[in-house]
Amino acid sequence: MGPLDDQVVRADSLTATPDGLDIAVHSHWYRALPLPSLVTADLTVDGEPIDTSTLAVTVNGHRYAFAELAGQGDEYWFTTDPLVLHVPVPTAPGREHRVQLLLGLSIPYILTGPDRVPLVAPSRTDKTLTAAGA
Amino acid sequence: MTDTAPGLPRLGTTLFSLTLEQRRPGRDLASLVAEVAARDLGPGLEMVAFQSLRGWPRLDDDAVREVRGVVEASGLTPSCLAINNDLGLYPGRLLSDDESYEYVAVQVRGAAALGFPVTRVGVETSPAILERLLPLAEELQVGIGVEIHAPLTIEAPPVAALKDLFVRLDTPWLGFVPDMSSSMRAIPGAVDDAHRAAGISPELTALTKELWSEPGPTMAKFPELERRAAEAGATPAQVGNLKMLFTMHGRMAPERWADFFPHVVHVHGKFYGVEEGPDGLTDPSIDWPAVARVLVEQGYTGFISSEYEAHAYSDRHGAFDQVRAQHDMLKGLLEQQQPVGAAR
Repeated sequence: MGPLDDQVVRADSLTATPDGLDIAVHSHWYRALPLPSLVTADLTVDGEPIDTSTLAVTVNGHRYAFAELAGQGDEYWFTTDPLVLHVPVPTAPGREHRVQLLLGLSIPYILTGPDRVPLVAPSRTDKTLTAAGA
Repeated sequence: MTDTAPGLPRLGTTLFSLTLEQRRPGRDLASLVAEVAARDLGPGLEMVAFQSLRGWPRLDDDAVREVRGVVEASGLTPSCLAINNDLGLYPGRLLSDDESYEYVAVQVRGAAALGFPVTRVGVETSPAILERLLPLAEELQVGIGVEIHAPLTIEAPPVAALKDLFVRLDTPWLGFVPDMSSSMRAIPGAVDDAHRAAGISPELTALTKELWSEPGPTMAKFPELERRAAEAGATPAQVGNLKMLFTMHGRMAPERWADFFPHVVHVHGKFYGVEEGPDGLTDPSIDWPAVARVLVEQGYTGFISSEYEAHAYSDRHGAFDQVRAQHDMLKGLLEQQQPVGAAR
């Protein structure tokens, strides 16, 4: 709920590659977060839910399977850097896609409730955008 | 420089105020710091290390040299480096005490290397860890301040434990960082923009503001907010947004900041909007005349970092202009106060 939510997926975020659709995602949190903080990426492309286990993520030049992020506590997603979700859906340059994303970031220094669980800050995107060529 | 008269608190800016500016194309640390200086929004300069410093918490020597060069070229004075104790770094568990100590200690060393005299941590850093950090703080001559941010108030149990610790240790190297989010007199108007964008009805916003402003502890009002918001048609996600307002905006009387002294190492001039009123510049949601009175009466001569946070709700107002307005308002208020001693 704020101006940074509208920047999570931007007008130029989609790129068509031979392997599928790349989506550049910007953080809606004000500071760099460790990679395990990326706990939720519920993605629907053109109405089809994407199984998170099929997603790969490139951040800081390193490519990980989504589940591998949880083990990368020594690496941070910097404030102004996009990370790229690699989505295995067919596309081509110039094609339009409706992208619905629920991004959930676990905030490691804001602990909530009697069990001291990190706050998860959600951001919802629903945009129809055109993929550029790689 | 908009410096205040000798013997008064000094003004400054935290780059956190420029969170939206930072995202604009072509912006980098050097350009933000240079513009703070060019707009005369010092002399103090604070930043959130994890927000502003690529590579934190492990800056190499070249990065340290570069950041120091940016700050020195600006002519600003490093006031505070906000650091974090990421206890929830790993899924499913919290950092052990040893891990937590190391996580913060690395950052206190980093702050010293960058020339910051004070660091800010959150209340998740326990008294035991703070006591363990004290020898390092003394050795490096870098203060460690625990931020008192909404929903914390003087009555919160963790705050009492910290007060006990600081009284017992009686050291200048550990203390509090008051943040004015804890002592607000109204929910900021910028919230209306965010609610409109999120599809929250004006009636729900008004209901939340009404409940917030009623007497009584804010935490005790959550059940009534949940019930009445649901009756008024709020979705669960919207109820979550409304509850966040209660968490982000505290109602402690500003006079209570006096109880945190003499253990105050830095002050966050949190604000959500300064506007022109019939009697000059005013802040509808924070009683700055009362805050200025407390700070001057307590003889506080450290920095007040202007911390504009309405960017979390709205991009309607420019952050640089808002900090300028707050500086002009604060300088006037601080200089109107009785000198230390005369007020007693």
